[in-house]
Amino acid sequence: MGDATRMAIFQRLSGGPIAVNELASALPVSRPAVSQHLRVLKDAGLVMDSKAGTRRLYQLNPEGVARLRAHFDQMWTQAMSAFQTAAERPPEGEKHGKPIGRNRRT
Amino acid sequence: MANPLAETAVRKSVLVKAPIERAFGVFVEQMETWWPATHHIGKTPFEAIFIEPCVGGRWYERDVEGKLADWGKVLAWDPPYRVALSWHVGPGHDSPEWVCDMDPAKASEVEIRFTAEGPGATLVELEHSKLERHGEGWEQLRAIFDGPGAWSGILELFAKKVEGAGA
Repeated sequence: MGDATRMAIFQRLSGGPIAVNELASALPVSRPAVSQHLRVLKDAGLVMDSKAGTRRLYQLNPEGVARLRAHFDQMWTQAMSAFQTAAERPPEGEKHGKPIGRNRRT
Repeated sequence: MANPLAETAVRKSVLVKAPIERAFGVFVEQMETWWPATHHIGKTPFEAIFIEPCVGGRWYERDVEGKLADWGKVLAWDPPYRVALSWHVGPGHDSPEWVCDMDPAKASEVEIRFTAEGPGATLVELEHSKLERHGEGWEQLRAIFDGPGAWSGILELFAKKVEGAGA
């Protein structure tokens, strides 16, 4: 998959609504390829489209992007808080650098 | 990119009262002691989480039945200052469980930096970037985390852990 292309499209879209042919002319990929990436992003809820006269414009779906980020934000808030607690707990006789492959229960 | 809509990274930082070596060690070698237990692959809980200490090393969990499941790979390894990992775990396309897709094009990246703030404190900065790569399957993910009690369940477990540690 042309992930770099999808990222480039994503960044172009952040500049505001844009048509497929404008996207394709700004990127070194064919128009059908751009359409395919847009479909993937749209299915994922990250991009939405609208009609402006005869043109179809694509733009970021603020809800989709925000939700995606919010999910990971919550996950790391939780994880980092628990990490802080674990790191500040007095070591229980453990040694730094113990070998991988230990069999320790949580 | 100034547009907040294009922001697809999450940044966190925490100052821990522990020397840099310990902070790094707890992060990479004892992940199962603090990782939210609800975040694992498949149906069974994890028993241990491993990060192989070298670039290209695997990041994986072992579940209670002894099965291994990949989470990602080590992209940078500079103990005790920095580690970068690829994150391949995303919402399933057709199932509610989290799945690992080792296609690098669908992986986001997690970078963690450790900075000593005196002898007994460490600033830990985390950046989880390129999140848009997990776009596919997003609707399933939303369904999980919008569900009743999804996050409150994690908070409850966390509170138990902290209270247990203080006992």
